[in-house]
Amino acid sequence: MSFVLMKVLESAPHRYDKGMKILTLGKIGKVYDALTEDIKENDTVLDIGCGTGLLTLRAALKGALVTAIDINPEMLEIAKKRINELEKDTSVRFLEMGVAELDTFEESSFDIIVSGLCFSELSTDEITYALDQISRILREDGLFLLADEIKSKFFLKRIINWFIRIPLVIISYILTQTTSRTLKNIEEQVTAAGMTIKFRKSNFLENFVSLKIINEVKK
Amino acid sequence: MKITSYLYYIFVTILETLLRFFPIPAKTGYQKIGNPDKDSPVLLTCNFHLTILRLKKATRGLNYHLLIANSNGINVWCASTGGHLNNHSVISVIKISGIEKKVNHKKIILPQLAAPGIEAKVIYKKTGWKVLWGPVEAKDIPLFFKLNFEKTNQMRKVKFRVLQRIEIAVMWFFLAALFLMPIWGPLYGVEAVFMLAQIFLTYFLVMMSFPIYEKIFQKESSKKKSFFSLGNLVVFLINIIYAAIGVVLYAIVYKHDYSWILIRWSIVSFVLVLIIGMDLKGSTPIYKSDTHQDRLYDVGIDLERCKGTRICIDVCPRNCFEMIEDQNKVSNPRKENCVQCGACIVQCPFDALYFVNKAGDIIEPETIRTFKLNMMGKRK
Repeated sequence: MSFVLMKVLESAPHRYDKGMKILTLGKIGKVYDALTEDIKENDTVLDIGCGTGLLTLRAALKGALVTAIDINPEMLEIAKKRINELEKDTSVRFLEMGVAELDTFEESSFDIIVSGLCFSELSTDEITYALDQISRILREDGLFLLADEIKSKFFLKRIINWFIRIPLVIISYILTQTTSRTLKNIEEQVTAAGMTIKFRKSNFLENFVSLKIINEVKK
Repeated sequence: MKITSYLYYIFVTILETLLRFFPIPAKTGYQKIGNPDKDSPVLLTCNFHLTILRLKKATRGLNYHLLIANSNGINVWCASTGGHLNNHSVISVIKISGIEKKVNHKKIILPQLAAPGIEAKVIYKKTGWKVLWGPVEAKDIPLFFKLNFEKTNQMRKVKFRVLQRIEIAVMWFFLAALFLMPIWGPLYGVEAVFMLAQIFLTYFLVMMSFPIYEKIFQKESSKKKSFFSLGNLVVFLINIIYAAIGVVLYAIVYKHDYSWILIRWSIVSFVLVLIIGMDLKGSTPIYKSDTHQDRLYDVGIDLERCKGTRICIDVCPRNCFEMIEDQNKVSNPRKENCVQCGACIVQCPFDALYFVNKAGDIIEPETIRTFKLNMMGKRK
């Protein structure tokens, strides 16, 4: 599965969820379910790049106190609508901001930080900055849950992914004149930021990964 | 300039001009231009590779700090009106590139055409950096520096020069060739080359003669644009003549009757004229697209709110505004020039400007700031 087409979807947010379901062969829901299984009631949760709020929704349903940030106001509108349509009291706060403004949050102010398909949109410098900030604003032993598209370490799998990707890149270029990137060396960067990967799960082709990262050492 | 770097510049420019319909992202972040020191100016641009290349060429010999903000590889104007080059791109590059340690001032020069997408007020509030709107074109930057960062009126205007027209014609032609050649090539062989040349010729002619073609021949009726306009007829006739010459040449070379070529080439011309006529104005930087009559808005002024800051005059690329000096208010006597980029509305610190259409529907500044022009058609 590839997520190149998410650019197509980003410019048409109202079709985003349907598109994601098709692209991931219906797996995205399960991946996100598994990723958020550790979230408990009254946890303070930060969703970085919440998009249409798929992860925000899961956290909110568990009774967590969620702060969801995204730079795209159209996406935020959809996420807000999704939460408002729930016939349940939830505690969600939406903010239009990017990772560059993570420094506005207090130290150790979150129990759990989640991020789905957002880091692959960032530049290397932004990822380094974001990871440093996450390590600061996440409480000690807090969890950072990450799901994203990656570049496989195996040559053969990379070739296969490459062939799957090319037609999708062309289609998304024609439709939206944009493309997405894959994450390189995210695991090394996480470790360099002083956090520890507790759990890692990826699919067979190694183009998608879910990570549970623990913020063990405080600087 | 070394011969190798000159050759590189020419090669990349040609390649990326042909492909300029597609975004070509460059690395974002900090770059040193010349030998800047702590007092040197800071400039920002998008991460469209061709833009950076041209900017560097136009500013050779100057010393400044360059920040490349993420615009998803799209040029400044398209990216800012489409929401790709936005406040977040600028905040991110200011905070993360480490520029604050390299200079001892907090002034950043942004391209004027980024004004529809970036709010100077927000940048100042979130980073403490003061935004100054630079010239529209990179080639004016050396003079802009010399004038101590003052813009002349000419530097504010978007133009559509001969070279730019050729560039757009070439871009569309190359795009058509890219899609049609794999189909036409195997089907028609050498003839396909002639058909492509015909496409180029037509588009080139229309683009070059643009204001005349549009104003005299295409005179739109008040209700709907009609396909059977004089302009389309002229273009069609030129195509037929081209095809007829082709048939005669074929007959001379191959000694055979090839009149069916005339029919095929005529069909191609017909479709071509139809496609070009669809959004001719929209493919230029100096007119509003007229594909959707319901999306045509004018800029309205709330004189109560106007405090005469002149910011709208500074960011308007079409010279629409004029100061009423004795009242210290602004007016827009050249409304018909407006291309509906929204820069003035987004930048006005007192929300004195807004979009209004013929039916009297108003789009508030806050809506434009949030959604840019993406949702123009969807909003009522």
